[in-house]
Amino acid sequence: MKLYEFQGKRIFREYGIPVPRSSLITKAGETSEVKPPAVLKAQVLIGGRGKAGGVKMWNNEADLGPLCRDLLAMNIRGEAVRAVLVEERAEIVQELYMSITFRGSTATPVLMVSASGGMDIEKVAHETPEKIVTTTLNSLTGPSDYQVRYIAKRTGYGNARDLGKFVAALWAAFKGTDATLVEINPLAVTKNGLVALDSKVVLDNKAAYRHKELFARLDDEQRVLAGDAAEGYAEHTITYVPLDGTVGLISDGAGTGMLTLDLIKDAGGKAANFCEMGGFTSPQVIYDALTEVLQNPSIKSLLVVLIGGFNRMDEMAEGILKYREDHGLPVPAVIRMCGTLEDAGKEAMKKGGIPTHDGLLEAVKTAVALAEGE
Amino acid sequence: MAILINRDTQVLVCAITGRSGQLQTKVMLDYGTKVVAGVTPGKGGQSVEGVPVYDFVSEACAEHRIDAAISFVPGAFSRDSCLEVFDAGIKFLVLTPEGIPDHDVVDIVNYARSKDARVLGPGTAGIIAPGKCKVGAHPARMFKEGRAGVVSKSGALSYEVGKTLTEAGIGQSTVLAIGGGPVWGFTQRDAVELFQQDDETGVIVLLGEIGGSMEEEAADFISKHVTKPVVSLIVGRAAPAGKSLGHAGAIIEGSRGTAASKIEALERAGVKTAKTPQELAELIKQVRGC
Repeated sequence: MKLYEFQGKRIFREYGIPVPRSSLITKAGETSEVKPPAVLKAQVLIGGRGKAGGVKMWNNEADLGPLCRDLLAMNIRGEAVRAVLVEERAEIVQELYMSITFRGSTATPVLMVSASGGMDIEKVAHETPEKIVTTTLNSLTGPSDYQVRYIAKRTGYGNARDLGKFVAALWAAFKGTDATLVEINPLAVTKNGLVALDSKVVLDNKAAYRHKELFARLDDEQRVLAGDAAEGYAEHTITYVPLDGTVGLISDGAGTGMLTLDLIKDAGGKAANFCEMGGFTSPQVIYDALTEVLQNPSIKSLLVVLIGGFNRMDEMAEGILKYREDHGLPVPAVIRMCGTLEDAGKEAMKKGGIPTHDGLLEAVKTAVALAEGE
Repeated sequence: MAILINRDTQVLVCAITGRSGQLQTKVMLDYGTKVVAGVTPGKGGQSVEGVPVYDFVSEACAEHRIDAAISFVPGAFSRDSCLEVFDAGIKFLVLTPEGIPDHDVVDIVNYARSKDARVLGPGTAGIIAPGKCKVGAHPARMFKEGRAGVVSKSGALSYEVGKTLTEAGIGQSTVLAIGGGPVWGFTQRDAVELFQQDDETGVIVLLGEIGGSMEEEAADFISKHVTKPVVSLIVGRAAPAGKSLGHAGAIIEGSRGTAASKIEALERAGVKTAKTPQELAELIKQVRGC
């Protein structure tokens, strides 16, 4: 779950990471506990807010209403602004960048720090990557003192003690909330020490079960602010992505689903959707996948591509036949079935009067031809 | 030798009494895999398909030599169970569950590394050395013994390609799936490295997909260290941009992670790329001259 800035900062505050004093405004006309001079920041999940004009300076008490009205009327790259964060203005000496995330291929946390923080960090990453000090961490021990001292030396930010405290707090927040990304840009150097002026936090939905209250609260807030666009955090077995073609597609693996998408295109057809059930399925999962895919009125044929490993073909047949019994099949179905317990699955399908295919290419061509009405 | 497993590999099944554990134990035994023990806390003393069940991994290891473990322990309980496996000295773990929190996966992999052990997965279909052993879900009849070493992210895609190669008369030394990410214990590059060293592997087959940069990292390794022929199939050419297709990392963002950019990186490393499994089989026949 990707968090709003104010949500990320609330987590930062709980973990002892210094952030500016703030209040949140959701309607023009609301008053703010924080007084000017302050910064007004549109709360959106998408990046590039500053460049889109979503950040304004608030200098005179009387301007709060009009400034918030302007911000709350904005739409930043497709995202409506529904809240404004009012923050005390910090006296910035220097802008740093700091983040912790995972590098997937080594399964290690990485800490990145740069003395060139601010709006152009992506340009820095691209053009002068040596200005970003990347440190691989051991997840079981967290950052070590020597690593912090090295970062302090390499970035030129000399106060290793201050930096160490900050890194330790950010690591605790990263680990303690099951975050997959905690990013602070800019991380301001002020005369009172380091202050997080922005937050970008992504939490791992797979870990929601051990942070029930936190996830529920964040999700409630997101539903108010993002409405239908809120992503939620329930783990879905089924991945469903609508497309604009006529062949309804269901697969029991992401890789074979993508391969089938390619083969449909090569055969001159167009898929109506991508739908993948994951490797561990059940009769109910394919029943649900059929329900999802077949609700699309543009579908002219249905292509089910099954090549089971952990996934059992007897159960797939059970789910498909149950769906047909309950709802019927509105379009011709092409079922490709092989893998674990395939003999039992094929036998059940045969009894149910739905023939199965063994070859993928042949099944794709048949489904495309049916969609074209041949 | 195949890579990671062989004819003599003795296997422990974690959560052997569960639904998947029971069925897959039977399927592995039918294939000839030496499944010698299972673990389910509280079920010690029972047996599954004739395989003795223990309460603790250490108890199983006291009675049997264990070379590899395969885990069906649900995501929320995986971390503890995996640490137990490595503490007992087991050096290779096939981690099948999806849905393990990323922080737990990273802890598991970092811990394994400190114990000189390897983790395949999570979310992996496992590994098969055709004709010798399988530790995972690869359907037996889609594979036959031979000299192609196949590595894939997706399990189902590794079955699909195995089936196509077998039907074309091309056998395999080892076929493995590394899982859909976003965090991996074992990468395509790692597999390529082992295939390069493996005497029984004559040609390396790299199956990739859109998203991330793992195929590019493998390509970099191939150009520097691999002398064996490598062929590749990258799926997701027809995928829409900005949509995650099932695997956490399978998403095209801007020009990054597209099939075209991966194919280009691989071809620059001297890898021949195919558009379909059938084309892949043809390419293998050409490079091997069989």
